Amino acid sequence: MNRIALLLISLVLIGSAGCASSAQQESDQGVVDYFMGDYAGAVELIKPAATKTDENFVLNNDRLASAALAAGDYDTAEAALLRSYEVINSVGVNNGGRSLGAALVSENIKVWKGEPFERAMVNFYLGVIYYMRHDYANARGAFENALFKLRDYGEQDQTDKYREVESNFTLGYLMLAKCYQRLGRDDLAKANFDRVAALRPDFAALADPKRNADSNLLVIVDFGRGPEKVSNNDGAFVGYRPSPRRAGPIPLPAVTVDGALVNLDGANLPPVDLLALAQDRRWESIDSIRAIKSIVGTGLIAGGVGDALVRRRADPAVTLSLVATGLLLKATSQADLRQWEMLPRTVFVLPLKLAPGKHDVLVEFPAFAGFQKLLRGVDVPQSGETTCFVHVERYNSLTPWPAYRGEIAE
Amino acid sequence: MRFADLLFLITLLGLLCGCTNAVESGHNTFLDSVDLQQMTDQMARSIVADARVQSAIHAKGPLRIVVQPVVNNLTAEILPRGQAEGFTSRVRALLSEKQPAQFTWILNRDDFYDLRKKELDAPLGPSPDAINPQYALTAVFTSLTHENSQGRSDFYVCSYELSDLQTRAVLWSDSYKVKKSAIKGFLD
Repeated sequence: MNRIALLLISLVLIGSAGCASSAQQESDQGVVDYFMGDYAGAVELIKPAATKTDENFVLNNDRLASAALAAGDYDTAEAALLRSYEVINSVGVNNGGRSLGAALVSENIKVWKGEPFERAMVNFYLGVIYYMRHDYANARGAFENALFKLRDYGEQDQTDKYREVESNFTLGYLMLAKCYQRLGRDDLAKANFDRVAALRPDFAALADPKRNADSNLLVIVDFGRGPEKVSNNDGAFVGYRPSPRRAGPIPLPAVTVDGALVNLDGANLPPVDLLALAQDRRWESIDSIRAIKSIVGTGLIAGGVGDALVRRRADPAVTLSLVATGLLLKATSQADLRQWEMLPRTVFVLPLKLAPGKHDVLVEFPAFAGFQKLLRGVDVPQSGETTCFVHVERYNSLTPWPAYRGEIAE
Repeated sequence: MRFADLLFLITLLGLLCGCTNAVESGHNTFLDSVDLQQMTDQMARSIVADARVQSAIHAKGPLRIVVQPVVNNLTAEILPRGQAEGFTSRVRALLSEKQPAQFTWILNRDDFYDLRKKELDAPLGPSPDAINPQYALTAVFTSLTHENSQGRSDFYVCSYELSDLQTRAVLWSDSYKVKKSAIKGFLD
């Protein structure tokens, strides 16, 4: 028993040895800067950590992408997302020591690849970048892959479950339809628009093929806070909060162009709710291992204490061994709480038809005073579509955007 | 040796020797550098060996060819611009090296102006506006993909064509096919 306790102590020490490098601390600080609205600062802070191919490689690249997207630095965002894309689409990343370490010592040793909704969002943002650049073939591939990642929540043959997941991520089908439309595949575009309307009949205006075909300015709006990964008091069981019901309904955006309010005609509904998607967290083998370790650990502690209380001549060595082993098992059963905390609650897709030329476009949330973003001098083409991505947060809400880097249509 | 000693040694050895970084251990079903090499080698050999290509060279002299990046028709897969160019430009590089007298390569218009914008000292050859290519080397990649919670499989068909820009007649075509699969395991 002593030998096993020694083994567990060694493993805990090995597991904790590599924690919190200075680059990782800077990355964590970058997340804080991001939420304060300093996107360029966040990019610089997260960049060094994103080059390290450690267990946080995907997480740091996802974080870098969020900051770079908000800062309008699409090249950096693309590079970061592609690094992440490569790993999350790979299997066997944690083979060998990492799997053993994650099972025995700490789940934080494993290379983090995110939950299915986080993987889907990596692909979604890649798709947005390619869509902005009019690289519709790659955008299509990315949006398709985003939908594929959600299959981990439920197979297509489990109709109800899969349909529920799909209906919370109509965003993927909507953007896929728009790509097909731009690629000249109206048949496939219609099929995907129809899919959106079938999953969510209230989205009929947003999924109207004509509205999307006529659009010459597409505004994609990242809004709200995504789900927070939390553990129970024991630390062994994880879930996401808040639930959509607790968080309340998602406020709807309004768009003003050159001072005049645009009638969005019901096309401003949220096509994704990450809070709802996160509630469907899948149970993995590692969750079972943690749960067993936690329960056995509790049992050993109770056994040790009980033995000392019940038996008059209890051996102190046995009691201490039982309690120590129990505590070590409890210590190594703590859940991995790493998450892509910069994800929004939703992403709005607003197809607009404006007169060609330069316009000042204001996106605001009337129900949330102060949450707004001004796009100054957006160049709207005669034909084709300019796409602007905006991230709306409280601290950057009133900042105009002279550094707008939206792509000019062909 | 007691059981606990054995467990101790095995676990420590596993942890110390088995930890790889995030990009060392994994594999996926995407086209990779091995495919790039095999595919482009196959295409270069196939073009040179094709009787119709050889008779066109005998009739018209070196073929003036413009190379286009791969068209991505892959299911749920991204082919970034650099990779899309790599899959056709390696065919050009191989043919330029092995059969320099049979082909004249013309930069496509976008690449030419991109390079000129960078003001490189390297000679770019004739402007695409000054010399008309006769043929285009194009490639279209498609895939059949199946993904579920157990894993992913992709069957790739990578089709190359050398077509006459005037008549749209296909002078040569060939394809590279490969199937790849990845099974998800613990922690995937």
